[in-house]
Amino acid sequence: MSWAASPPSGAGGAPGNQSPARRPAGPLPGLPGAGGLRAVAGAASLAATLVIWIALLGPVIALATHLSWHEITTSLSAPGAWDPLVVSLESGAVTLAVLLLVCTPLSWRLARGTLPLPRVWEAGVLCSLLLPPLVIGLLLIFMVGPFTPIGAALGHLHLSATNTFFALVVAEVYESAPYYVLGAQAAFAGVDESMQQQAALLGDRPLRVFRRVTLPLAAPGLAMAMAVAWARAMGAFGAVVIVAYHPFGLPLQIWTTLQQTGLPSALPFALVLLVVALPLPLAAYIWSARARGRRRG
Amino acid sequence: MLEADVEVDRRDFTVRAALRVAPGERLALFGPSGAGKTTLLETIAGLVPPRRGRVQLAGRVLTSTGRPARAVPPWQRRVGLLRQDPALFPHLSVRRNLAYAPAAAASGAELAGLAGVLGLAGLLDAMPARLSGGQAHRVALGRLLLAHCDALLLDEPYNGLDAGLRRTLTELVIGLVTERGIPAILVAHELAEAQAFASRLAIIDRGAVLQDGTPRDVVLRPASRRVAELVGYRGFVPAGQDGDGIVAGVHPDRVTSGAHPGRGIVLTGIVCGGRPAGASWEADLRVGTAEFSCRLADQPEASAGELVVTALDPPCFGPDGSAVRAGGRPVEAGT
Repeated sequence: MSWAASPPSGAGGAPGNQSPARRPAGPLPGLPGAGGLRAVAGAASLAATLVIWIALLGPVIALATHLSWHEITTSLSAPGAWDPLVVSLESGAVTLAVLLLVCTPLSWRLARGTLPLPRVWEAGVLCSLLLPPLVIGLLLIFMVGPFTPIGAALGHLHLSATNTFFALVVAEVYESAPYYVLGAQAAFAGVDESMQQQAALLGDRPLRVFRRVTLPLAAPGLAMAMAVAWARAMGAFGAVVIVAYHPFGLPLQIWTTLQQTGLPSALPFALVLLVVALPLPLAAYIWSARARGRRRG
Repeated sequence: MLEADVEVDRRDFTVRAALRVAPGERLALFGPSGAGKTTLLETIAGLVPPRRGRVQLAGRVLTSTGRPARAVPPWQRRVGLLRQDPALFPHLSVRRNLAYAPAAAASGAELAGLAGVLGLAGLLDAMPARLSGGQAHRVALGRLLLAHCDALLLDEPYNGLDAGLRRTLTELVIGLVTERGIPAILVAHELAEAQAFASRLAIIDRGAVLQDGTPRDVVLRPASRRVAELVGYRGFVPAGQDGDGIVAGVHPDRVTSGAHPGRGIVLTGIVCGGRPAGASWEADLRVGTAEFSCRLADQPEASAGELVVTALDPPCFGPDGSAVRAGGRPVEAGT
């Protein structure tokens, strides 16, 4: 009996007994194939994910494997070796404070859509994101350099936006602001407006609504935006090298060490940069993940 | 007393309504989707500014476009609004959600009591994300009640809840509104829900209040053919003398089989379909050119092509759609 001709359900005894034995041969050759394919695809995607992750971590791994204890102690025990770290931490902290103060209201308004022509405002923020940091540095010279009206005005205040701590902060603000604004905008936009309405109807004035509802709900997103901005500020180089070559922050210290004494002695500063720049974003990430987890109950 | 006499512009039409709700009174606004019911509530709550008008609650002017112009912000109105979306604060526990309103902070005993009544006693430390839909609604309601508002606005709050829970919540709100003596307005697009809650029913269509009365009166004596359609009259059969254009409205639930000339209009129609509807039988009937369905206690005999039914005391409407009296005695109509 040809199996193709066998009825799906046996009418009699003998053919009925044979067909179930043969029937699995029809669909089954396909099934293991499909299942196997799925397993292979799954393994391949897992392997690809792992490779990408390791590749992204590659520089950190390289840093760890190429550092020697001797280099670290020599580089970091030189006189003034820790000054760039202090400069970076201080300028990063000031930058973050400025962003919080100046850019939070802008993010809030962008998120609420209360500004006229919202796309124009957003494009403005994107502009500074799209410009390469080096170009921002060049343009900052034209904007706030000593021979410009703004530079002259700053001069009256005994400030200078070139080669000073103030200049360093200005450069870092320009490099990190778009990241903070866009991140904070997304965080505020994620807060359901009906919740704020409800809070108001329950008797909270706008500032209280902001403190009791909007801010706690946006906090995880805001923390991430701040973490990203902090990392950008700590690593700012392009604009900094043009407008604030002095005082040295960590990125510039790495650059000059590299030029003067070569790669091995620059690596310890890279380690320091990593160690001081990373904890805040990491803490922000863990905290916001926990906050979101708590909300899920 | 809550008084609102407002005109609010919407994209497609202007909502014009004058409402007065006495303390302890429960008004239901009933109408199709997009009739302007929610807009009215939001205007009273201060979320939507009216083009013209005045809102007054317990002697306080909340909104006035006349002189002196006045627009009390939502947080000073003491008007509670409950929507279909419970909008619980996800970062606060049930207890802190309930006690959110500044007016609720001092009353720990009241919170515990209300949580017990709402069946939330065991959930006070849970986060909103863990609650079922019905539990979330009860928390939202409790939060509103603990805020001690001077008026309660309910915007289709029970959509998506099962019938038993709806009944429980409705009875609870009725009890509290009566006890506190505050005006309450419910927006509903289901008539049964509006009737279960309201002591007074207002029918709204395209921004205008078409009729306002006791729930039973509005359903049994619609002021116009449009109101009749909105409250569920499906068929309109000729009921007057030749050519005067008077029609009688037939409500599916106000039909009984057999000829009872003393109780309404006797109709003879052709059965063109039918299906079980709850415990009764829904038959599709064609009478002349009018076609409508009616719910009968028993399924008509399959063999009978014709069916005689009586539309009980039906409302009649003139050619312009306004209600008319169909003479002292019921008028007989047929195929």
